Order: sequence, then C-alpha cells, then structure tokens
Amino acid sequence: MRSGVAETSEARPLLTQYLTEQNLLFPERVDGWRDAIERVSAPLLADGAITREYVDAMLTSIAGGGTYIDLGYQIALAHARPESGVVRTGLSAMWVRPAVLLNDEAAHPITLFVCMAAADSTEHLAAMAQLGSLLSDDAARESLLAATDPAAALAVLTAGEH
Amino acid sequence: MAKFLAVCSTGLGSSFMVHMNIEKVLKELGVDGVTVDHADLGSVAAGDADAVFVGRDIAEAAGHLGDVVVLDSIIDINELRAKVEAATVRHGLAAS
Repeated sequence: MRSGVAETSEARPLLTQYLTEQNLLFPERVDGWRDAIERVSAPLLADGAITREYVDAMLTSIAGGGTYIDLGYQIALAHARPESGVVRTGLSAMWVRPAVLLNDEAAHPITLFVCMAAADSTEHLAAMAQLGSLLSDDAARESLLAATDPAAALAVLTAGEH
Repeated sequence: MAKFLAVCSTGLGSSFMVHMNIEKVLKELGVDGVTVDHADLGSVAAGDADAVFVGRDIAEAAGHLGDVVVLDSIIDINELRAKVEAATVRHGLAAS
C-alpha cells in the first residue's frame, strides 16, 4: 500500500510550490494543440526544468495517438517520460478558450492543459496526489476550470492543498 | 490479498491519480483487503492484478490483462466509485 504518500503530501504545499504564478498561463489565443503544447511547456523550458527534447517528445506522443493525456472534463495532463528531457520536476498550466482539439480529434476538446515534467518516478507523486484529488472534486475542478487569471487559479490550487 | 492496479501508458501521471482515487473510494466503501498500485502498460503482465483500471485510450492494448475496467474519465470519482464497487463484488470483496 502506498497510502502514506498521500498522507504525507497533504501537509506540504507542493502543488503551488510547482504551479507558481508565472507557470499559470492565460493566453488570448492558441492556434491548435501543437501551439498549446509549445505554450504550456514554455515556462518549464525557460526556467530549465525541461529541454527542447521534452517538448518534442510530448508532441510526438500525442501525434502518435497519445490522447490518453485527456483526463476528462476537458483537462489534459501533458507529459512524456523522465528520460526524454526532464532536468528537474516541474508543473505548468494553461487555460484555453475556446477549447482546442487534442491531436485534432473531436472526441478530445481541451480547455485546461497541465504540463508535468517528472524528474524521476517518485519525486512528483505528492504534488500529483494533490492535483488528482483537486481535479476529482467536482466543486474544486469547476472553480479551477472557471479561473480567468493566475490569481483566481492560485486561490483554487492553494485551497486544494488543505 | 486482492490487488487492483491502475495502469496508463507511462505509469507516471494518470495512473497515479487513479491509484489514489481507488484507495479513497475503497475507504469510502469500507472495503478492506485490497492492495492498490499503479504501473505503466509495458510492465504489467496478465495475472499481476485481480482488476486493472485503465483509461479508454489503452483499453484495447490492455485487453489481455484479465479483468480490465475501462474508465471514461480518470478524474470522475462517481464513475470510479461505481466501477470499483462492481469490481469488489466481482472479486467477492464487498464491504462487511
């Protein structure tokens, strides 16, 4: 059983440690899913958490049918393998209006992209537990999706840590 | 002890979310005696778990893993609750 992972994580502000204000993006216009992946990964690329290889790995994965990153409720968790260009663990998020179609597939409209870079297979788990718990909560998820600026998003994420 | 396994392509993101939510749901249902874990599709073999929970995109690829439970949304806790409960019944694990 790994329940201890979640119990530990709930006491620490890991989600907003990664999802800082500069990593919460609200672009006016996004030109399709490739542009969305480029944009949401830009803060992680800029601060050195990932290399260009990671962005390309995500693009290749999605283009190859990797729409499993669609979590439902128009939320996508964009990620690739740690060995594909992750330097250190990082998260970023981007709100998109109107929705873009993941891999141009009508079955996968996305309005919130979360980009996850996991430096190894365990370090990011506490933050992921918080994110999963938040996204699985109807009220919290709706508030997060409805955010229109970083401050509103941060307020929901902060509440999700408790 | 029964084992439920959440599986996704990388074993890093969505499977961990499902893993945590299965544990949450089992607790709510009052079902003990189930080990929950997560893994990537490539490292799982048939017989590794009593029930394997996957997103619909890898449903076909995971078809050989035995009792495969396909989730339409991996963050829909209501869907998961219903499907976990059904799995506990199938495996004779219903709450006492």
